[in-house]
Amino acid sequence: MSSAGLGRPIAFRWSPLVTALAFALPVVFVLAPLAIFLVYSFFSVDQGQIVYAPTLANYLRFFTDPVFLPVFWRTIVLCLSVAAISILLAYPTAYFLTTLHGRWRYVLLMLLMVPLLMSYVIKIYAIRSILGLNGFLNKALVGLGIIAEPSTLFVFNMNAILLTLTLLLIPFAILPIFLALERIPQVLLSASHDLGASNLQTFLRITLPLSLPGVASAASFVFVLAIGDFLTPQMVGGISGFTFGRILYSQFGTAFNWPFGAALSVALAMVVIAAILAGERFGRNRGASL
Amino acid sequence: MLLKRLLLGIASVGLGIGLMASSALAANLRVLAWDGYADADWVKQFTAESGIGVDVVFIGSDDEIWAKIKGSEGQDFDVFAVNTAQLQRYIKADLVSPIDLAKLPNQKEVLPRFRDLTQVSGVTKDGNVYGIPFCFDSIGLIYDTDKVKPAPTSMSVLWDPAYKGKVLAYDNGEHNFSFTALTLGYKDPFNLSAEQMAAVKAKLVELKRNVLSFYTTADEAQQIYQNNDVALIWANYGQQQVKALQKIGAHVAYINPSEGALAWLDNWVISKGARDKDAAEKWINFMVSKKVSGALSERTGFGNTVVESSSAGSNDKLVWLNNVEDPTKRSDQWNEIKATP
Repeated sequence: MSSAGLGRPIAFRWSPLVTALAFALPVVFVLAPLAIFLVYSFFSVDQGQIVYAPTLANYLRFFTDPVFLPVFWRTIVLCLSVAAISILLAYPTAYFLTTLHGRWRYVLLMLLMVPLLMSYVIKIYAIRSILGLNGFLNKALVGLGIIAEPSTLFVFNMNAILLTLTLLLIPFAILPIFLALERIPQVLLSASHDLGASNLQTFLRITLPLSLPGVASAASFVFVLAIGDFLTPQMVGGISGFTFGRILYSQFGTAFNWPFGAALSVALAMVVIAAILAGERFGRNRGASL
Repeated sequence: MLLKRLLLGIASVGLGIGLMASSALAANLRVLAWDGYADADWVKQFTAESGIGVDVVFIGSDDEIWAKIKGSEGQDFDVFAVNTAQLQRYIKADLVSPIDLAKLPNQKEVLPRFRDLTQVSGVTKDGNVYGIPFCFDSIGLIYDTDKVKPAPTSMSVLWDPAYKGKVLAYDNGEHNFSFTALTLGYKDPFNLSAEQMAAVKAKLVELKRNVLSFYTTADEAQQIYQNNDVALIWANYGQQQVKALQKIGAHVAYINPSEGALAWLDNWVISKGARDKDAAEKWINFMVSKKVSGALSERTGFGNTVVESSSAGSNDKLVWLNNVEDPTKRSDQWNEIKATP
């Protein structure tokens, strides 16, 4: 008793501090940098020096300059396609995993996650040599007689970005779908069978609807990661694969126009936040109706 | 290349600081230089010949030189190396001292293009010499000798439809505007008028349609070369890039285009705060000796100012890089070019 009596005041004294710390970390490391970004987007640059006078010029330029909006939309469409293809490939994979039993399920899942342990840049390099004119893909297609001579369709264009991003991000789609599928109670499936539903009917009316929250988070994961990526387009996009991420990168890397870069980032952040909110809302609603 | 410089630089800075601390009392000559510009055996020989002790600090970037020199208003170093484009900034900020050419007998023996320093843009101001050229490399054209026949003489080959989809260009607006301006025959590629800018931009959009991809690092260009059908490479990394390609067995050769090749040039300069200007001039004179400059090219692959090297033939026209009229504008225009369908 006496030791508990001693312990309590100390815990009591420290707990506000712990709470403050818990709030301080995200504020200092997430909210503050975002706020600084937002503030910078209202500055401008003159002769390589940042002018700290508020202006809307950066946003005006984003909406009126004929360069930025088309690239912006094109990038969004590209990343939606990446998300869609990733889902189409990841769903059957995840479904197959849930049909496995015991240890194999997790061994295979681990194997599918192994690429995440490798360096991003090295993966892009590897994929780029596979897609190249003298690369593995072309050699295989020519060897199989599918195409007559090596094709430039797969590298240094939008296709290349689409393929590479899909390949890089597919583990992020498999995992949430797998988790959603695994969480579906077996009793529901048994009940469906008992009541005479066919496998297809069970899938369409039980499994698919219950796994949609997983699909929603998978889609938002992949979309957000794809749209923030500038390295992949830079390295495999060539001359036609120009994306918003590359413009953004150039504002910081070569143009030294941080305020304009910040404004473009804010535009991108809006899309990302919308995607995350949409993914989360869709996921939660479905989950709640369980 | 830069990365290697950076890593070596970081490794050497520690060593340099240690050396500085240990011998600060002896009033040694304090040298700030890129790795490869003050090798240990040269330093040893210089000390043996002149009796002057030397402390070397290596740097990894242009910004780092500026930070070190500006930070101490030139008091921390006696002599340092800086490129022509950067040097103007130091002269303007009054951080460097004029150099007495009478103290540099070796400068009279250098290659013809470096003999009259008023002809080397950026190293003189108001009749005073501020920089002694030491090391350079050109940004020329690499071509595949099996695929490009006859051998090209001008960058205009990059626009040749015969090589559509076989051209590797460099992802940098500033340089691309400069070299295209030279190809179009403009006198000053670093100060373009609005009209010239528009013409260059249109020309670059055409270039883009002939290009396979824009690369950023030498390794990247090499990897793309290996996996694709590449005939021409705009060689931002000059000799080092050629040699790396030849090492992997590529049949490539290098030219400096007849309209003039962009080239960087590093110079030795004496800081405003030099404790012993005489010793600094002795150092520079030693650096532009046949022996050191010859060894510099052998060891680094870059061109030197004393002995002919593969960076440039004696008749090649080199255009020393300078600050451009508006870097932000060039960068924006470059984005527009890339976004043009």
